[in-house]
This record gives sequence, C-alpha cells and structure tokens, in this order.
Amino acid sequence: MRAGVNPVIRPMHATAPPSPLTLSLTARETEKDSCFHCGVEIPAGVLIQESGSAGTLSFCCRGCQGAYMLICEAGLADFYRRRNWSEPGVPADAFQGSYHDGYLSRFIYPCNETSAIDIIIDGIHCASCVWLNEKILGRLDGVQDVRVNYATGRARVVFDPHAVSPAVIFSRIAEIGYGPRPYTRSAAREGARLEQRDLLYRFGTAIFLTMQLMAYSFALYAGYFQGIDSRIKGYLQIFSLLVTTPVVFYSGWPFLTGAWRGIVNRTPNMELLIAIGALSSYSYSAYATLAGGEVYFETAAMIVTLILAGRLLENSARRKAAGGVERLLGLCAGQAHRFRGDALETVDPAELRAGELILVGPGERFPVDGRIIEGSTDVDESPATGEALPVFKNTGDRVIAGSSNLTGAVRVFCIREAAESFIARVARLVEEAQSRRAPIQGLADRVSAYFVPAVLFLAMVTFCWQNLAGAPFGDSLMSALAVVVIACPCALGLATPTAILAGTGAAALGGVIFKGGDILERLSRVNLAVFDKTGTLTCGSPELIDIRPAPGTDPRELLSMAASVESGSRHPIGTAIREHAAANGIPCTTGSELKVVAGGGVTGKVAGELVAVGSGRFLAGLGVSALSGDIEAASGAMVVCVARAGRYCGAIIMKDRVREDAPELISYFTRAGIGTLLLSGDRQESTGEAAAGLGIGAGIGELLPEEKASRIDALRLEGATVLMVGDGINDAPALSAADVGCAVAGGTDIAIETSDLVLVKPNLERLAFAHLMARRTMSVVRQNLAWAFLYNVIGIPLAMTGRLTPIYAAAAMALSSLCVVGNSLRLLGGRRG
Amino acid sequence: MDDSLIALIVLSLFLGCGCWLVFLWAVQKGEFSDIERPKHRMLDDDEEPGQRDKSIPD
Repeated sequence: MRAGVNPVIRPMHATAPPSPLTLSLTARETEKDSCFHCGVEIPAGVLIQESGSAGTLSFCCRGCQGAYMLICEAGLADFYRRRNWSEPGVPADAFQGSYHDGYLSRFIYPCNETSAIDIIIDGIHCASCVWLNEKILGRLDGVQDVRVNYATGRARVVFDPHAVSPAVIFSRIAEIGYGPRPYTRSAAREGARLEQRDLLYRFGTAIFLTMQLMAYSFALYAGYFQGIDSRIKGYLQIFSLLVTTPVVFYSGWPFLTGAWRGIVNRTPNMELLIAIGALSSYSYSAYATLAGGEVYFETAAMIVTLILAGRLLENSARRKAAGGVERLLGLCAGQAHRFRGDALETVDPAELRAGELILVGPGERFPVDGRIIEGSTDVDESPATGEALPVFKNTGDRVIAGSSNLTGAVRVFCIREAAESFIARVARLVEEAQSRRAPIQGLADRVSAYFVPAVLFLAMVTFCWQNLAGAPFGDSLMSALAVVVIACPCALGLATPTAILAGTGAAALGGVIFKGGDILERLSRVNLAVFDKTGTLTCGSPELIDIRPAPGTDPRELLSMAASVESGSRHPIGTAIREHAAANGIPCTTGSELKVVAGGGVTGKVAGELVAVGSGRFLAGLGVSALSGDIEAASGAMVVCVARAGRYCGAIIMKDRVREDAPELISYFTRAGIGTLLLSGDRQESTGEAAAGLGIGAGIGELLPEEKASRIDALRLEGATVLMVGDGINDAPALSAADVGCAVAGGTDIAIETSDLVLVKPNLERLAFAHLMARRTMSVVRQNLAWAFLYNVIGIPLAMTGRLTPIYAAAAMALSSLCVVGNSLRLLGGRRG
Repeated sequence: MDDSLIALIVLSLFLGCGCWLVFLWAVQKGEFSDIERPKHRMLDDDEEPGQRDKSIPD
C-alpha cells in the first residue's frame, strides 16, 4: 500500500475535551492497531482512544481524533460507513499549509451579485468524498452553493465575501483531510471545453433532425410500395429537405471544411469522402424533390450523424485520458515560500524566477526545479521517475518540480522558473501531442486517395457517354449523380469509423482506453514488443528473498530484531520486513527510541540494546565492527544489514518481485508471433537473467533513457513496428520513439500522459486484451471495406448504364449500411478478456 | 383527411424542434459537463430543513 489511506490532518481539536457522541455509529469493529479515521497502523506508544456510543475507537494521532470529532459534530458520521477503502486516498505527503486571503483573493470572480471561487480538491476519489466536501462547506456561514464535479475533482463555491473569506473555506477543506488548491483557467483548457460543447451542439442537432427525417422516409418508402397521394409525397419530400439541410450544412460543416482543405492541399481524405457522399445524395434528392422522383435524404443525414457520434465518443475518451495533464501541472501549483532578504513571503509559484531562494518544508512539493543549498531530506520523486523508494538529497543535489519533500525543511535555489520546469515541459509536450487531431482513419484516408478521383472520373464518363448517346441533359446528370451516390454511400464512409467506435468501446469496457483510432491500427501491426524491467514487469516494491545471518545468529532472531526496529517505518523496505515477519509468525516487539536517518537506515532500542538496520555504508558510519565482506548479493538485489550493540549480525536480501501476470503476457505475445525484447537501466547480468526467466527473446541492460529511445529508433529503421511498454517519466523518450507507447500505470499520472493507450488498472493482462482487440477491430475494418468494395463493383456498372431503379438503390444502400454497422457491432458482443 | 395528416406532420416537426431547443438550452447550461455525479447525488439523504448546524467551530 503506497502511502495508503492517510489523510493529513492538522491537529485542530487536539485539546478539545471529548464530547458525548449522540450519533450512533454503525462502525465496523475497529482493529486494534489501525486508526479508525485514517486506517494507518498506529505507531508504538501513541495510541489515543476515544469512548463513545459506538464503543472504543482507536486513533493514530490527535489530528485524526480531531478530524473524527469534527465530522461527527457536524452530523456527518455517516462518512465512515460510506467511504470506499478499496481506493487510495490523499497521499501522506499532500500539500498542506496555511492559506492567505491576500493571495487567494485573486482567484475570486463575481457570480450573480456574490462571489465564487474554483477550487481543485486533491484526494477526491469516491462519491462520499464529494458528499462530505459539499456538506461540510455548505454548512459554513456565508457559503451559498457548493458543487463538486466528481469527474474533475473541482469545486465551485459560491459565497458571500462579507460573511466568509476564501482562507476559511480552504482551511475547512484541509481540516477534513483533503488538499485544496486554487484553480486557474487556461486558454487551452477553455478552448477544449468549447470545442467539446460545439461538437455536442452539432451532434444533438443532427440526431434530433435525423429522427424526424426517418419518420418521413419511412412514410415515403411505404408510399413507394403501396401508393401515395402525390400531394402528400411532395409535402413529405419538402419536409425532408427542410430537416436535412441543417444536418448537412450545420452539423456536417466540420466535414465540409475538412474536405475543402483536402481539395486545396490535393490530399483526398476521409472527410472528402464523407462530404461527397453526403452532398451528392443531398443534391440528388433536392433535385428529385423539385423535378419529381425518389429521394435519399436519410443517406446524407445518417452519414453525418453516425460519424459525429464517433467523433464525440473519441473526443471524450481523449479528454478522459487528458485529465491527467491538469493533475500533473497541479503538482506544482499552489503556493511557494520565497525568501525576501531574511523574511519569507507566500507567492504563486508562477512568480518564481531563476536564481531566487525558496523554503520547502516537509510535506510540501517542490514548486520548481532547483538545487538544495541548505539542509538534507528524503524526496519522493515517484511522480517523475516512477521510482517508489524515496531518494536521499543532500546539499548541492538537484530536485525536480512536483516531487514531494518528505522529511526535512530545505532551502532551494531555483534553477528555472515554474513555466520551464521539467513537469511543465512534459505537460506541454503532451498537450501538443493531444491537440494534433488524431488521424482516426489512416486506412480509409489511403483508400479514399485513390477512390475519390476514380469515382469522380467514372461519373464524368457516365455523363458524357449518356449525353452523347442522346439522353436528355437532365437524365444524364441524374445517372452521373447516381454513380456518385452509389459509389460513396454510407458503407465506405462508415466502414472504419463504426468499427473503431465499437472496438474502442469494447476495449473501454475491458479497461483499456485508446487515445485515438490510429493507435488501434498501429497496435494491430506491431511485430516487436519492448519492455522496461523495473516497475513494468516487476512490482517496483521489494520482497524479502533471503536471510544471511552472521555466524552465531539465529535467522528468526535477526528478522525479529529488524522488524522491531522497523515497526514505525513506512519505508517500503521496512514494510516488507514487517510483512515477512508477520507472515512467518515471528514475534516482534516494538522498539523504543526509534530514529530514522534519511537515506541511511533506522536505529532503535530492542530489549535494551541498540539495533541498527540499514545499508552497509550506514552501519559502517555508526562504527559497526565485523561487517561481513560477502554482503555483495546476487544481481538486482538490495542488501539490508542488521547490527546489534555495535556488532554485525547478518544481512537481509531484498529483491524486486516479478509481476504475477508478466509471464502470461510474454507467452501471449510469443504465441501471437510478436518478438519480445527487454531494455533496462539495470546491470546487464540481472537484465539477461530476468529476460531468460520470463522467456523474453533478449535482454539489454545498462541503458540510459536516451539510449533506450535510440535503440528503438534503430529497430524501427530495420523495419520493425515497435510497442514499448514502460513506466514513469524516465521511459518517456522510449515511449514516444516507439510506434505505440504503453505505460503500465503505477500510480503516476505522467506515465499515463505519455502513453498512447491507458490501462485503467495496472494489469498486464489488459495489454494482451488491448492487442487482441486491435487485431479484431482491424480485421472487421478490412471486412467492411471489402464489402463496400464488392457493393461498388456491382452497383457502379448498373448506375452507369442508368439501370439502377430508385427502389433497388434504396434497398442496396440500406442493406450495405446495415451490413457494415452490424459487422462492426460484433466487436462489442465478443467475450471480454 | 389529407389536411389533418399534414397538420399532424407539421405538429410533429414542431414537437421535435421543441425537444431540440430544450437540448440546446441544456448544453448551454452545462448540464452535460459532469455526467458522473448526478447518479450518486440521488443516493444522498436529503437534509431536513433547520438541521443546519451553526455550532460547528470554524
């Protein structure tokens, strides 16, 4: 459990006397050793108990007790029943600080004669979080309305500025353990929102009018077979024309402009095909309405409506995936403490300039890239590197914006301003990549490049031929238009979008989000899968594999000592040791005088003797004697040494664990005929060992991130289509160099951003499912295109010779569209992997 | 009969357009901006009027 469910609470009510709790709590049985409020294990010697009507509850700190009482007094004790423990909560290192009205006032904007402020609330992960925030803010005097957007975790608070100040609102949110940050609107985000709204308008218009149109069309079809009064028929046709016109020219406007761009650039594209299909059947029908004849307005309306539906869904899938950019940038938003002379002032991180000095306290995030000039601390860089273990930073070391400062206050020299920081640059790259429109139908684009000119040519030939053969001008034009209508009907235009729509929909149900249709296509062509090792095929958290006691020490005693000293530690190594001890039933006491030394290890007293657990260097620094020389362990392993009373007692060997689903994934790719390769920054021998163990073709170790990317470039030059599977930002160059990059999410948003496809849960099996889905989708696309082609081969000659009577044309159109859509829908019905 | 048929067709067109206008208004109001929360909102208990607790320390 990384950081785990652990809201940070300021001890608000540390001194408040326990009040009788009138509310009955249907509380679960509180486990003896975990906090009722935050669920964290209670460290030795700090058990706080509170008796109420619900029985005796245990807390890990006064802060949690205070938060519990605050929530109960507000009559919201239901929270403990509603909350969902299966998801991680606010990270232990959530931004936490004091809030100043002077600074926050700039984010207030007027709203209906009062004021409003938008707040990003960190830590919203379930519906009861939304509920709690809305209720607790709604009960503040002066707050008029609170709406928390569950999807974005953003709250809009409407309040009376005379009755309540923003700082009160912010600290109220912080009190209940969430992290509030002011939200600023950016032009790019606003633009994306307007674009989505515009698309929704166009689609809504199209679908309402198409539904009207279908009613008229059915009446006209029935009239064709059973006879219809010509006056009624005329009216119905005019109404059809009336409702189709806005569908084609308003809803279909993006396609028309896209088609025009295609003509101007001489690159016939998918949009040109759609535009010709819609326009030709529209103008043919409009002509038939005036001149008499059968109409096919529904063809034009249906193409536009269905393709808009696809766009809308693709757009929202991409937006869902893009939500991480905001969270990513949010890591360095908030406030910074800048030195002005000797005094500290609170400023917006955007105001920081290179060369300035800031103070970053424990529990805060570094707002900019910088260098530590005073102090030392442990830093959690997992947002940037995916590395789960905290990194020790001393004076002179670089720190990355967005990583969080865990243990000590440090003075940091700003290297770059916030807009140029590592995270801001990554976010910018990601936004650029997203704003380029995904070429959803690469295959159809290529097809239409040949198809469109050919059809136009055939239509011209038909017109000239019929005209020369003596047909009247009107009839010749009708025949020529019939060729265009038959050749560019729904079938070809719908072949790719409907299949992609169904394929991405089915994938999303199975927990895989594709960031565009082109990724499905590329993934289906992949013939080499490249993997990163640490954090991708392995869990990234250590597991105890061996205990090597020094002569004369019992291994169980060694483990017991280590576990006792680590009893207060939340470091992954400490957790692993404790878990192993508990799993083997080894008793461990709770050590006293526990001291954590950043970057080194832990010391404490067990049964009156000083015990030290940590790296060999750390122990040597403590003057431990008889340090064994054989502690250089097997490849890829970490060695944790234990000493008692200044004497070396033995070592515990920890190793990163291979993910349970990794072998299955590798064997899937092997069966699918796709080569596999392991690229790692780890030592060559351990990389080769891991590759052999998993059945991966080859393993190359000791690679820097840039070298990984250049390896992939070289492989692509040799003709391979590469899928890169990695994690964290250190794999970002390789992920973007590959044809398809997939980040296995280990809780890092940045990894997800650089990824072409997003796995909703960090589960490697889903990658196999994604690949299967991509292949199936592309085979459906090919079937659809083959059908559309066959249909053209039969239809075009008939239309050219003028033999295609209206009813056959109508039946053929309906049939081909039904076949294509039905074939695509098969993808949704398939068994989900 | 034909006249009533045409009147009905026109009526249905107006009804459809009415729905369409409601839809446009809803998009304008941002009704579709959060499609997750409303389904949870209905599960929340309504607060009794007057239960507003003023005694919470700020």
